[in-house]
Amino acid sequence: MKLEIKNLLPTYFEEERKSTSEIWGKERSFSNGDLVNIVAPSGTGKTSLVHFLYKMRESYTGSISYDGKPLKQFSREAIAALRKDQVSIILQDMRLFEAQTILENLEIKRQLSPYHPQERIIEMARQLGVDHRLNALAQNCSYGEQQRAVIIRALLQPFDVLLMDEPFSHLDNANAKKATALILEEAARRKALVIFAELEKADHFPATHLYHL
Amino acid sequence: MALSFKPIKPLLHTGTNASSRWFSYIGLGIGVLLLLCSVQMFINIQQLLKEGSIRKDGFDFVSITKNITNETMGQPEKNLFHADEIDAVKKQPFIAGVSPLLANDFRVQLSAGNVLPFSTDMFLEALDNDFIDTLPPNFTWKEGDQHIPIILSSDFFEIYNIFAPGQGLPQLSKETAMGIPVQISCYGSNNTVTFSGRIVAFSDRVNSVLVPKNFLQWANKAFGNKERQDASRLFLKLKDVNDPQLVRYLDAQHYVINRDKTLLGRNKIVLQGIFSGLGIFGLLVVILALMLFSFYLQLVIARSRQNLELLLTLGYSPQWLGKNVSKQFVPVYIFIVLAALLCTQIMQWAFHHFVMFDRPELSSLVNWMVVLLAAALVLMAVVTNARLVKKLLHGLG
Repeated sequence: MKLEIKNLLPTYFEEERKSTSEIWGKERSFSNGDLVNIVAPSGTGKTSLVHFLYKMRESYTGSISYDGKPLKQFSREAIAALRKDQVSIILQDMRLFEAQTILENLEIKRQLSPYHPQERIIEMARQLGVDHRLNALAQNCSYGEQQRAVIIRALLQPFDVLLMDEPFSHLDNANAKKATALILEEAARRKALVIFAELEKADHFPATHLYHL
Repeated sequence: MALSFKPIKPLLHTGTNASSRWFSYIGLGIGVLLLLCSVQMFINIQQLLKEGSIRKDGFDFVSITKNITNETMGQPEKNLFHADEIDAVKKQPFIAGVSPLLANDFRVQLSAGNVLPFSTDMFLEALDNDFIDTLPPNFTWKEGDQHIPIILSSDFFEIYNIFAPGQGLPQLSKETAMGIPVQISCYGSNNTVTFSGRIVAFSDRVNSVLVPKNFLQWANKAFGNKERQDASRLFLKLKDVNDPQLVRYLDAQHYVINRDKTLLGRNKIVLQGIFSGLGIFGLLVVILALMLFSFYLQLVIARSRQNLELLLTLGYSPQWLGKNVSKQFVPVYIFIVLAALLCTQIMQWAFHHFVMFDRPELSSLVNWMVVLLAAALVLMAVVTNARLVKKLLHGLG
């Protein structure tokens, strides 16, 4: 899958941003297998960019297109299909169903487009050290545990593009490394494009492209 | 693996504001029950009153006159039916046929000659043959004939037999009466002709002394002062004398009909009015209940907004979600309407059995139209609900 952005800028950013950014106002094209690291200090529009790419917000000028089709032209059903089978996301603010257990949260995602069997959930949870929390309610889990659950959730579906917005913000270095390894393994299995937005350059992420936002 | 709604269901806060939900369910139940019962009673009235009227050859026959008021008194032309008025009556869909009753426009005297010492001034009328219930083949006349066949009202004959002993006259059987020749004297302005007449039949339908129409037309010309075209009475052939439309039409035109004949029709108007009112009230209650339910649904979706938005973010199809959310309420709707239908069935059975004592015109089972209406109500509730859910979900991310 080919992801293209052209002359993109949030409507609430001033035009000058285009001159200092390597993403805003530029023309970029990414395809399967690319590992893109976008480095951005706070307030430079990291979350905005990821939200735009996932069509969670449309307050931008310029264009985003998947396989040549402008994202703004996707219908609600087409977006649902894109999110189900082609584009996965790890959001910074996690977003779990708080009154459900971690396992229930993961099953709700997995049943939508089951790429892995249920056993793989336990396997991945073990890999990230949260297998003992699978039956705990999401609201009773720590941010770190919730963040690892969200990472597993994103890896349960088929995808060509994986969007990540500060996915390790609540993890220590060791856990971040384990999570990166799992993500890279799953991305490689699918030959997927990974867009990884982070505050600083992540040493453990072998980026093929590096951009400053 | 088919996508299951089971893990999604707990994400909807359907427990929210349960009282509002129960009120809307109860309201819907009461409304549907009222509506179904009203329609069933409406149909019962139709069936009872249709069967209740006396019919001959599948039609009812009645005569109408104009209402003679103080204003129209003494002005015969205002109390006659003119050709355009007769045409207007003919055009009414509930009137199968119209025949003007032509009356004599000259003096007529009837006597029994030498057989009985009986003589009286009379009136004669003529009617299209189609409208006469007892029409013998010899009820004909041609110019030059001295014999005139007569069809006499059974009621008039009965009255004769009542007053005959008081007048010193013999009481007669119908057979004897038909054997007695009578003399009919027609008095013109300057001529008098006496014909011989004979009763050839008795009519239960027409309260009159009928002679062949061509005779009366000829006689009116020969003895009358002017050629009379208009009729003072119209004889109507009706599909149903109790048709409320007929009663309304006659009242509106100020035409007079024997009130007793349309009494059932008048009751029908009142009863139908009551049940129409009840039906409309029931429909209003149904609409109100559906509105209340829509508020409840809006509240559920507002309370579950975060969860529903997250489902959409995860890639759940809005269409699938909408369909499954609305599907949650379909069994409830079906249950409510079926319960109301069952109550209507019990009511109909009780009404037929205890109030109508199993009269054959009615059925103990509800009418198929009521069942159809119940199905339509389920459909209406389901469609309204599905559209609302779709609209509410569309408002989410």
